[in-house]
Amino acid sequence: MIADGPIPLRVHDIESLSPSLKRFSLTALHGGELPTAAPGAHIMLTLRGPDRVMKNAYSLVSPAACRDRYQIIVRHVAQSRGGSAFLHQGIRPGDVIEAAPPVNLFPLSQSARKHLLIGGGIGITPLLSYLPLLKARGARFELHQISSAEDVGVFERLLAPFAPGQEIRIHGGGRGAFDLAGILSRQPLGTHLYVCGPRPLMDAAASTAAALGWPPGKVHKESFGEAAGGLPFKAILARRGIEIDVGETQTLLEAIEATGIAAPCLCRGGACGECRLPVIEGEVEHRDDFLSAEEKAAQSAVMTCVSRARSARLVIDF
Amino acid sequence: MTDQGIKSRPKYQRLALDPSGRHHLLLIDGPALSSEAADAGFDIAACETWIVIRRSAVPPEPILAEAPGAIRPFRSTAHLFSALQDRLARETMGLRIYAAGTEDFLWDIHGIADQAGMSRQELRFCHVGSKARRIFCVHCRTITAGVKTSIVACSGCGASLFVRDHFSRRLAAFMGVQVDAEAPGEVPDAEEIYA
Ligand code: FES
Repeated sequence: MIADGPIPLRVHDIESLSPSLKRFSLTALHGGELPTAAPGAHIMLTLRGPDRVMKNAYSLVSPAACRDRYQIIVRHVAQSRGGSAFLHQGIRPGDVIEAAPPVNLFPLSQSARKHLLIGGGIGITPLLSYLPLLKARGARFELHQISSAEDVGVFERLLAPFAPGQEIRIHGGGRGAFDLAGILSRQPLGTHLYVCGPRPLMDAAASTAAALGWPPGKVHKESFGEAAGGLPFKAILARRGIEIDVGETQTLLEAIEATGIAAPCLCRGGACGECRLPVIEGEVEHRDDFLSAEEKAAQSAVMTCVSRARSARLVIDF
Repeated sequence: MTDQGIKSRPKYQRLALDPSGRHHLLLIDGPALSSEAADAGFDIAACETWIVIRRSAVPPEPILAEAPGAIRPFRSTAHLFSALQDRLARETMGLRIYAAGTEDFLWDIHGIADQAGMSRQELRFCHVGSKARRIFCVHCRTITAGVKTSIVACSGCGASLFVRDHFSRRLAAFMGVQVDAEAPGEVPDAEEIYA
């Protein structure tokens, strides 16, 4: 298996976990073992919909030791990005999907004395890949999953294999009833925090941790690019002299890719910095975790996978 | 000879309070913070301070509160280190450690803090006092403490060791390499350079 070329996968099995959640098991199209993916890794799927090609990143939930299949859990939300809706409605067992090899931007720390895991909604997925390893190592951990009332049952079922004897809590009252500051303030020295979920949850976790004196190196965030949509705008690729319409439900990156141009990207969630492009003109609405506050204020670069234009036009040096 | 241009040679800075911390613990190898160890504005009252007084007569009931402004004396560095281990085992995230003293003192604290899972972002070190080095003999693995000269006899195997600037954080010691390995007996004169 060539590690950096695309991997053709066959949809082996689709399991409905709840009205909005499905688990997909994907096996190597030509049989054999898949490249290993450490806990926290994601794969980027190329989804060929009827009218456009979409690329979405999904965290693997299968244990790292499992080489015969990749499993992902996909949520279908009413106004979701096209890719997840397409997986829910347009994909059947036996279909072939292309994936980029797994990338891990959310690895477990090797030096942590304790791991504090906080998931919001579907943000549970990378945490699920951590649990087999943490249990096998006998590592100290604590998991909090924030959930809407209707999802409590499905999250309980997903966490049940890891629950005995462990500090695993599901908070069914949403974020309001969740005492983030209380949890963060009582963690022992040497704890690492991993938070995955909607942007407001991750922002709250990061700012609360910072206010309580957590050093930035011990706070790990995995973003999902959930807030992909926004007002439509025009992107001008200055070097190529072309003008692209970025639609309401599309990211800038997707709009560039839709023209057939390969743009740099890795995480598609505003975390890795790979998709950064220089801005010549226009105002960016920054939604990434990568650029510093100063860089954002300078308005000289855009992370195409999550950020959009605040102005009607955005001229990019690309 | 004094600057061998080696990157692992640790760099230190005058102590400045890290405002991002929630609790601050200041560890001093001596009875008080020397003026060269900290910035002028360093607010010692924001820290709980541990000092090493090197006397058996530790004041009977010192202020033992674990609170900013409290000062706790220790008889020796070993006494302070064991208390530090116990303390870090029950500390919560948000602690910052500031330490001022000799390199041995600083890197022993580094080792204890590392064991407790603290990262360099949570530690501030200022080197004051003797520049004497702790030397690890790469041949027999013995540590010779308090080395002030450029060449020293290993306290383990007796080899004449050249004191390198290569510092191991794990061993909290500088490396010592036999100086006459190629031409036995040809040992240059030792100079006192780490006073
Ligand atoms: S692809 Fe990683 S930040 Fe955009």
